[in-house]
Amino acid sequence: MNERMKTGITGLDEMLGGGFLPETANLVEGAPGTGKSTLGMQFIANGILHYNQPGLILTFEEFPQQYYRDAEAFGWPFRDLEKADKLRVIMTSPEVSQADLEHVGGRIESLVREIGARRILVDSLSHFERVASSPIELRTAVFGFVNALKREGLTTLLTRESAALIGEGDLGEEDVAFLMDSFVMLRYVEIDSAVRKAVLVLKVRGSDHAKDIRQFEITTTGIEVRSKFEGREGILSGSPHRMAESFVEAFVRR
Amino acid sequence: MSNAGSDLAARLMGDMDPELLDFLKTKVNSFIKWDLVRFFYENPNSTDTAENVARYVGRDASAIEAELGELVGTGVLERHRVGDLTVYSLASDTNMRKLVDQFILACDDRQFRVKAIYHIIRGMR
Repeated sequence: MNERMKTGITGLDEMLGGGFLPETANLVEGAPGTGKSTLGMQFIANGILHYNQPGLILTFEEFPQQYYRDAEAFGWPFRDLEKADKLRVIMTSPEVSQADLEHVGGRIESLVREIGARRILVDSLSHFERVASSPIELRTAVFGFVNALKREGLTTLLTRESAALIGEGDLGEEDVAFLMDSFVMLRYVEIDSAVRKAVLVLKVRGSDHAKDIRQFEITTTGIEVRSKFEGREGILSGSPHRMAESFVEAFVRR
Repeated sequence: MSNAGSDLAARLMGDMDPELLDFLKTKVNSFIKWDLVRFFYENPNSTDTAENVARYVGRDASAIEAELGELVGTGVLERHRVGDLTVYSLASDTNMRKLVDQFILACDDRQFRVKAIYHIIRGMR
């Protein structure tokens, strides 16, 4: 069996059946503020600090300084890790990175070799929509991109913003999620007039994984996945209700 | 320029590190170039097109294209072809990177900044 690429995130590796499979593309989707980039940074930071696996961050959105500041707040010394040649934060655009990966000896390939990178965070996949004029073109572009990263021997974590702030988003037939080896969803849920966060592993290709929906929190040291939502259903709708209520609704109030 | 003006310029530049003075005179001789050098200092692994770099630094692409070209000419940046795209990145030369670091760090000092601004304005006349 393949050695897993652990995220090092309490609770998440267990949900994934031990971690991500090596040299795979893994999508983390969620609404703004759910913790997608934090999860990605933690995957990279833990890879370097705990598993000796250098990493790259490919950003289409934030300047590297933003990552340094955010990471610092969680105790991940990104600036020092760059100086130690364990990390590279690359700010670029989807069209340039896509073209770069199609050529031997490109910038990304050189950086992978330079630091011996094993992991990469792509933040975020949503920006690829800018370079594609249709869902089919987008799917082709993303397919080529993730395959090129696999060719470099990288285990990739890609983030994607979901349109729905609360509740489920729609996946069309051409959705790029189908190209991914695993799919993790982060969601806001409203329980007792408070907003909480939920995580669900929707798929891990070729491996068993947890099927339940669990609560998670962003603490001062990063993301921690906690227990599952007991006695509630309709979590993904964003407004879960107690099972007893739904039972009554379904069978008694008819 | 009057004698008084020349004297002031000489006094302002006199105590500047000769290497940085040369960097200012021959490489970063406009505010756009200054912005571009700062951008690549802060994003040393960035490789991107002129259009995207313009967007990042909040300038017009037509305004920065020639400046990027001049920075390539003086060895501060490198220009590559990636497929159909022309992209720019910080020079890989260690000495040039050190000089860029030195310049940006020197800009933390208000006195240095004032002198550098004075020099650029003087050069624009």
